[in-house]
Amino acid sequence: MTNLRSLAALTATVALVLLASSCDPRGDNAVAPTIGKPSYHFDILECRPFKMTGGGRIDYPPGTADKNPPASHEYETFGAHVISEPNGQTDELGHCLGAKGSLEWVDHRPEWNINGRPLNLHSLEIRWADFATDTDCADGGARWGGILVIKNTGQQSQFEVFDCDNGEPGAGHDGFGIRLWDFPYEVLCFDSSLPPAEPSCTLTGGNRQLHPTH
Amino acid sequence: MKIALLLSLIWVPSVALGQMQRTATAQAFGVSVTTATVNQTTPSAVAPAEGGMAQNDAGDVTIASLVTAQDAYAIASGWADDGYSDAIGNASLGSVNILNGLITATGVVAIATSTAGGNDAYGSSLANLVVNGVSMSAPEPNTRVDLPGVGYVVLNEQIATVSGITVNMIHVVLQRTGLLGTQTLGDIIVGSASSSVN
Repeated sequence: MTNLRSLAALTATVALVLLASSCDPRGDNAVAPTIGKPSYHFDILECRPFKMTGGGRIDYPPGTADKNPPASHEYETFGAHVISEPNGQTDELGHCLGAKGSLEWVDHRPEWNINGRPLNLHSLEIRWADFATDTDCADGGARWGGILVIKNTGQQSQFEVFDCDNGEPGAGHDGFGIRLWDFPYEVLCFDSSLPPAEPSCTLTGGNRQLHPTH
Repeated sequence: MKIALLLSLIWVPSVALGQMQRTATAQAFGVSVTTATVNQTTPSAVAPAEGGMAQNDAGDVTIASLVTAQDAYAIASGWADDGYSDAIGNASLGSVNILNGLITATGVVAIATSTAGGNDAYGSSLANLVVNGVSMSAPEPNTRVDLPGVGYVVLNEQIATVSGITVNMIHVVLQRTGLLGTQTLGDIIVGSASSSVN
């Protein structure tokens, strides 16, 4: 089951990267430059009760532990929490159903100013959450998703996040990344030289906190 | 019966005490003005006491003739848990103009983070900050600049609180000096985040 799910997730990941690249309306690559070979963490997953909470800031690109110059406005701020309560069912990709939570995401980059506002993503439903057992996140990692609305346009999209609690403080250690499935947008860091587990991007502020049980 | 009653009297306070020991609070706001005639805070988010996240946004903000700000967002998240409590307040704004150009910035981020491991303001920043005509980059915590005829401003204000931290990226204290000395007339705060866990 785990192997099938990993294969399905890997296939989906590759397909989505190709799709996102081909759909980018601005013609540039939304994925950070790759240094080293991606190791595709977050692909060995299991259904387990847990909770992941917090929020903060990412300076993407490049997504390192360093803040970009503030005047560049190259940063994203967010809050996100997920509560995994597996109900014994999985979706077509093998993701564990039975989750709830919320996500709020703001991308302050000028190129993502849509209809006069920074790109603002707001979750409508968290549908699934998997506990990742293949990451080097010291306290735990998770991959979860659902449906969100792009508040700038009203368009809805499926999404998934890559969520990593890698000790404290969260800044410089923890990671977070997001990918939309129905809109060409992602903030993912495929860089094996960065902490923590790729493709999550290193937080430059805030914290991700894994609660093993709830 | 008497034993059960006695046990309940012992048990209930101990549970209540346990609950009191685990709290996580977080809040954030974009702009707040407090004067004799104006008392307004927007947008504001306070994490639910039972745990969870709250968010609010106000788009463009204008408060009297004192402050204008663009793209103001506030997010607050807090969860109390044995050994795993965390709280994060997060306020972000685009261009800000305070007191008709006396203080301007093109981006403000305030982040307050509290965990069992401590409190920090990592991620907080000011972009293209100009105070009274002087450009300032990355002011150190609690940098005070006098504003003649107005009062003073504290930049990157970081205040330790009980089990937490409050971050005010721009805090203007309005003052008037007269025969009776210096009198505080109000406050303008832009980009504020607070968090605490215990």
